[in-house]
Amino acid sequence: MKKYLLTIIVIFGLTAAVSADTIKATVNGMVCGFCATGIEKTFRAQPEVRAVNVDLENKLVTIQTKQGQTLDDSKIKKLLGNAGYSVVAVARQK
Amino acid sequence: MVMQENDETGHTLSLDYTFIPTNAFGFYIKQEENGKDILMVTPEFNTLLKRWNLPDGQGNIFNMSGAGLAHYRGNNQPCLWTGFLADYESRRWFLSYEPRFVWDGDIEKSFWQRARVGIAPYLANYNDLNTWIMFQVDHHPAKHDHFVATPLIRFFYKTYLFEVGYSSNQHIMVNWQIQF
Repeated sequence: MKKYLLTIIVIFGLTAAVSADTIKATVNGMVCGFCATGIEKTFRAQPEVRAVNVDLENKLVTIQTKQGQTLDDSKIKKLLGNAGYSVVAVARQK
Repeated sequence: MVMQENDETGHTLSLDYTFIPTNAFGFYIKQEENGKDILMVTPEFNTLLKRWNLPDGQGNIFNMSGAGLAHYRGNNQPCLWTGFLADYESRRWFLSYEPRFVWDGDIEKSFWQRARVGIAPYLANYNDLNTWIMFQVDHHPAKHDHFVATPLIRFFYKTYLFEVGYSSNQHIMVNWQIQF
């Protein structure tokens, strides 16, 4: 029984460790291509980020992290704040 | 960023490097027309003084300033200029106002102001071609034509901006801008 439990814990732990995040940040102030390009550049420069997409219509910045890596909310808010934008909400899915 | 403006006031070339998101430093050249044909060459410093991030738009106040040399008919003079740009932009509307003060030594001291209003006929996303229909009014007391109105069309694709217009004093306006 102990063996099974340990195996489950190890598998669960490994899965969590190698999974990537998809983070959706709702952002105020994004209106044009220059905004979008600046935001994409900012996130592409982060070593944890695999891909980034800006959706002006829905005011969303979607960030996909590399396997086993993540960006915490405070870093996302700081990066977008430094780029000149306001973060309204951050949602994430594995 | 590189930007060139060709309109009834002359020809302007700006090359700027944005070293932090709120500040850019660069090089500014303007050949004035429709008045004294002054050539100005200055370094320039652009600062975002204030930004309002709104759910459907963005408001900004910028300052742009430069100090360098002005040349007019063999006479070289130190020159200074500073301007403010206040704008509001949503994906549908654009409004801006820009007053600018220029001191070209003993050649000329001038003030000019510019206002713009624009509307996007359709809402484009980042990867689409953005089109704007705009109307610009200039007030240049130092120029031959003090008030000039220019209807124009702006095209915007990703980091490329192109504008073409025709002014009330019969000059073609061609402006472009590329961000790197």
